[in-house]
Amino acid sequence: MEAAAALTLGVSYALAWLPDRRNLPNLMFCLLAVAVAGVARAEVGMMHSATVAEYLDWIRWTHLSLFVALVAQLLFVHVYLGTGRVWLLSTIIAARVAVLVGNFQLHPSLTWQEISSLGHVSFLGEQISVVGEGVTRSWQWLPSVSRMLMVVFVADAVLQLWRTRRPEARRKALVVACGIGIPLLSAVVLGQIKVFEGAQVPPIQTPLFVATLLVMAFELSRGLSQSQYARRELEELRTEVARAGRVTALGQLASSLAHELSQPLGAILRNAEAAELHLAGPAPDLEELRAIVADIGRDDRRAGDVIDQMRALIKRRSVEMQPLPLDEVVHDVISMVHPDAVARHVALDCVMPPGLPPVNGDRVHLSQVLLNLIINGMDAIQASRTDIKRVVIEAQQQPHGQVEVAVTDSGPGAAPEIIGKVFDPFFTTKATGMGMGLPISRTIIEAHGGRLWVERGRGPGLTFRFTLQQAGGSAA
Amino acid sequence: MSERGVVHLVDDDASFRTAIRRMLTAAGFEVHAFASGAELLARASPDEHGCVLADLQLPELSGLELQQELGRAGVALPFVFLTGHGDVPSAVCAMRQGAVDFLDKCAPQDTLIAAIERALQREAAEREARARQERLARRFAVLTAREWEVLRHVVNGRMNKQISADLGIHERTVKLHRTAITTKLGVRSVAELTTLAREAGVLR
Repeated sequence: MEAAAALTLGVSYALAWLPDRRNLPNLMFCLLAVAVAGVARAEVGMMHSATVAEYLDWIRWTHLSLFVALVAQLLFVHVYLGTGRVWLLSTIIAARVAVLVGNFQLHPSLTWQEISSLGHVSFLGEQISVVGEGVTRSWQWLPSVSRMLMVVFVADAVLQLWRTRRPEARRKALVVACGIGIPLLSAVVLGQIKVFEGAQVPPIQTPLFVATLLVMAFELSRGLSQSQYARRELEELRTEVARAGRVTALGQLASSLAHELSQPLGAILRNAEAAELHLAGPAPDLEELRAIVADIGRDDRRAGDVIDQMRALIKRRSVEMQPLPLDEVVHDVISMVHPDAVARHVALDCVMPPGLPPVNGDRVHLSQVLLNLIINGMDAIQASRTDIKRVVIEAQQQPHGQVEVAVTDSGPGAAPEIIGKVFDPFFTTKATGMGMGLPISRTIIEAHGGRLWVERGRGPGLTFRFTLQQAGGSAA
Repeated sequence: MSERGVVHLVDDDASFRTAIRRMLTAAGFEVHAFASGAELLARASPDEHGCVLADLQLPELSGLELQQELGRAGVALPFVFLTGHGDVPSAVCAMRQGAVDFLDKCAPQDTLIAAIERALQREAAEREARARQERLARRFAVLTAREWEVLRHVVNGRMNKQISADLGIHERTVKLHRTAITTKLGVRSVAELTTLAREAGVLR
């Protein structure tokens, strides 16, 4: 019955562990549950043994399950609390391996030199088999000492965590002390009574393990539901951020659109007015009129291009990979941020070597990455009030069919601990920032089979670099 | 050539600059076009005429900064600002700095021309006032140090006797100084003398 319960728990936690493989405590719990099922079965086998040989067979199986159960417990303590001395842990595991091997190699077992007969005691209203007469081996101290070391290890790990004085850490320490420490200690005491007093104690480790299992199950299910709750909250937050981001991005686009359009539209209007004035005169200058009409046409196309670019940016699309002329993409983005750069007095420099091969990519998504990096650079410059206000966009062909793009600002740079965090979601140094620009950019570049990283520039500022695959045959 | 006055045009967008220069030239203005504020700063001198028609958002030196820099260089030209999308803080700042107007790039032609005319009128009036002040100041420049002292007392309404006591000179000498002042400045009465001195801004 206990074995079945332990197995059920083990399977249910295995299911919980599968979707999140990094959750080691859950894995340890599964192992422990399965091992406890094994211990339970083997102990029942021992109790019902009719002969010494049968009894010894079950002892070996008990030890195999016991080994897994003890190691799983130790590792659980180590990974769940994050404390405990590794050398002690290794020593105990080595000792337990020796016990396990000894039990299978030595006859009749590691503990017993000889078992001459089985005794019978009454246990819970049932007659069960125990060792009647036997001689212990001098090796029998090894399992006992290793069990004691386990108690020491758990006590040490719990104390280490207790000293941090954090309420949550203390709660975990207490749970582990009660759930694992006390049953382990009880097992040691029982083992001592059995061996030294020669008392005919029935093998009852299973209830202790089941107690441990129940405490661990309670603890992990608590963590599980909390992490699921946190995950759902994060999901909602992300949706919200995406929506908010879209709203502000649209607001910026609308304002940028108005500004970008005012130049060509204003030029068209003034040219038309100039033409009217010329035509109202006594002898219209046909050359001038021709030039005016040509300019009106050109400015009209310019306005159309602005609208097309914006439409392409706003339109939601999936990733559409195609060979792209990188310099064209960069220039489009530069002309898009131009009004912003002018307003902030930042010069945008673009260094594109001639003969740069086209890259494989999605125009809209790549533009978004560039836009984001350039605006970040300008923000850094604006926040620092440096004299040199410059963002440089460089592209370079690299070996292995790659093209590298670098965006360098003349801002103040950043401390290493900040540089290490810039790609973390929701990390931002800006008062109004969302902290989503760089993580999203990195996702986009990785979807393109490239990398995006940051380094200190040649000057004081930062350089963001990303790689793209060259379009065509030579790409890997 | 310039029947309607001089417009100093500053805009970094070549296409827009050409268009507005064409229109204003056809409308009878003399247009000097510049691609940046620095270009205008390098060329402008304190006796420059006309008004400035500038894009508010210029690279390097912004429209507002150009207005400040010109003022610092003693070039008192009135400004009309053009903008792609007007923002209130810049508009307030521009007006506070003495801009005549603040217009959208696509503002109607007559609104734009009216704003330029207003700026030019203001500039002409200011220049006239400055010239008159300078002419008057030049007339006062011929007075001696003692005559200045007497003049200051006279316009403050003091009697000859009081002036002689204040300055420790004979009352007859005071009378001689007064005659010299009125003769040099060509005025007939104390009232006229006072008005003239106020207008020239020579006395505080």
